Amino acid sequence: MDWSSWWATYSTLVLSIGVYGLMALSISLTLSCGLLSLANAAFMGIGAYVSAVSTLQYGLSFPSALLLGTLAPSSVALVIGVPVLRLSGVYLAMATLGFGEVVRVVALNLDITGGPLGLNGIPLFTEWWHVLLSVVAVLLLLQALRHSRIGRAFEAIREDETAARLMGIATHRIKLLAFVLGAAIAGLAGGLNAHYTFTLSPGNFGFENAVDILTMAILGGIQGLLGPLLGGAIITLLPELLRSLQEFRMAANGVILIAVVLFLPHGIWAPRRLARWLKKRSKHADA
Amino acid sequence: MRIQTLSPIVALLSVLLIPLVSHAGDIRIGLTEALTGPASQYGVPIQNGFLLARDEINAKGGVNGDKIVLIEEDERGKKEEAINVYKKLIFQDKVLMIFGPTLSNSMFAAGPIANLAKVVAFGTSNTASGITDIGPYIFRSSPMEADVVPVTLRTAIKHLNIHKVGIIYGNDDAFTKSGYDVFRKSLEELHIPVVDTETYAKGDVDFKAQLTKLKAANPDAIICPCLSEEGANILLQSRALGIKQSFIGGNGFNSPKLVEIAKAAAEGTIVGSPWFDGNPSVQNQHFIAAYRKKYGTDPNQFSAQGYDALFIVAEALKKIKLTGQLEQDRQALRDVLPHIQIDGATGKFAFRPAPEHAIKPGGYDANQTPFVYIVKNGKFVLLK
Repeated sequence: MDWSSWWATYSTLVLSIGVYGLMALSISLTLSCGLLSLANAAFMGIGAYVSAVSTLQYGLSFPSALLLGTLAPSSVALVIGVPVLRLSGVYLAMATLGFGEVVRVVALNLDITGGPLGLNGIPLFTEWWHVLLSVVAVLLLLQALRHSRIGRAFEAIREDETAARLMGIATHRIKLLAFVLGAAIAGLAGGLNAHYTFTLSPGNFGFENAVDILTMAILGGIQGLLGPLLGGAIITLLPELLRSLQEFRMAANGVILIAVVLFLPHGIWAPRRLARWLKKRSKHADA
Repeated sequence: MRIQTLSPIVALLSVLLIPLVSHAGDIRIGLTEALTGPASQYGVPIQNGFLLARDEINAKGGVNGDKIVLIEEDERGKKEEAINVYKKLIFQDKVLMIFGPTLSNSMFAAGPIANLAKVVAFGTSNTASGITDIGPYIFRSSPMEADVVPVTLRTAIKHLNIHKVGIIYGNDDAFTKSGYDVFRKSLEELHIPVVDTETYAKGDVDFKAQLTKLKAANPDAIICPCLSEEGANILLQSRALGIKQSFIGGNGFNSPKLVEIAKAAAEGTIVGSPWFDGNPSVQNQHFIAAYRKKYGTDPNQFSAQGYDALFIVAEALKKIKLTGQLEQDRQALRDVLPHIQIDGATGKFAFRPAPEHAIKPGGYDANQTPFVYIVKNGKFVLLK
């Protein structure tokens, strides 16, 4: 099969790998400071709807639509983050899940979002380099963040929030920053997604999607930045790779996920495990 | 010597290669439905209808001597998967055309792909308005609710004394919401006032609060553009509350399950649908008998539409000569398809061009007269 027909067949899949990689990165950002937030699917939905409405109904250019799609969910995150981030653990998960449901119901009942029929005929704007550029930009940003004061604050909060506060870290503000940044990345992913799938409907960003995104991050591993990207790629590719299994496809999909979680508890990409393993090997070699 | 040792290998290789190289006479058609997930309740009967039609056509020697090969793919009722499957079928499997996907939303996502690639996309279960606006390569054999509902309403008004109605519908589902919009519009055109409108969400099981309000408003009939699961529950609970009025349903009510679950509560319910299991035509009775024999269950409207769709395309294929040049053949099929008429399990069928919007040329909708029937003694009886 030559290159152009390969690309014609699989371009959507490749774009989806990038977009869901972004989603996994966005949730790993909040996870990296110890927040189990499930609002990312909803933020993706807000970003997708805002940018699609901008191009479809207001005729804005794609870059400005993407910018709006990034800003809108982060401002929403700023508003709900203040009260919601007082919660932690499963309570935060419940609250953010509730928020996701609110977003879905709002999209169902507004006229501008097309109600339950959704938005159709969204122009095809997303090119491969848009997605690549976004992924690289987000990776660079997150990498810089990890090695900055803020990144170390994230880690301190995840390990022990009380100790972090005693050391003088403004935990509430730092957590809010992670939440808002995560929402911005999710919104960007949503805007990109809307402009290559032609259609949006409220059900696209519900509970199932929220869990999928969390699975991507956990499966890939959240110790490094490569893990979430890898997880996103695997969860997106797996159903397509297993297509030949036909009706057993989704069952096989589930079995593979269970096996990975059982045998690789820190995800597939775990730098610490890799380091340990390498150390062990060099010891053997010495002996 | 060398040639001798090679020949068994060559023979083995050619045996292995045969299944990979399809016969020159095969007509490869893509079929993508939601076979897993919530939408599979529609996707599986549709696929069954197609497979039955394929077997019947091939048993009679195929089309002009060529066998029809259906390449089946599951799209899980998800938009991204529908797009992926469409691209795989068009660019990798190089099919002549594609049937499906199951849901209107999936067609909105995948349809533009086929239209850009100049391949016919043929929906058999997409009833939302605007589907065929995607472009000139989009066809559907499922009549829109906008075609079925006015006929249903007019027939119902003729038979029952209706001056005012109440409505209950699910406001969070594309199918029930668009059904509601269409009912609303037809009621306005017929100058029938709506005394009360109630809503529920998909998956609700208790409708007593809404039904009590509807009862107090005392309409002459209750309109319920619901799916059969919720519909059956609504019927049962309304009878328990002492509501005696007839219900008028949309496409979703057209399922044997409705009467099966609601039993006596379904009495007097009026439904409009493109297919009627009691339609005595030879084609329909043959279809029902063959379907029961093959699958051991009763067919529904969706299987009948799938079954007919393959015969529509087979009829078109008879009229063209396939050259083996894929692009040319795809275009030839597209050009002859709009003129095809058949008399199938769903009755007389023809296409009509989608109403023109702006400058964009549209695809083709179904031009079919729906059946309107009423539940009497637990059976669907035709209303004329």
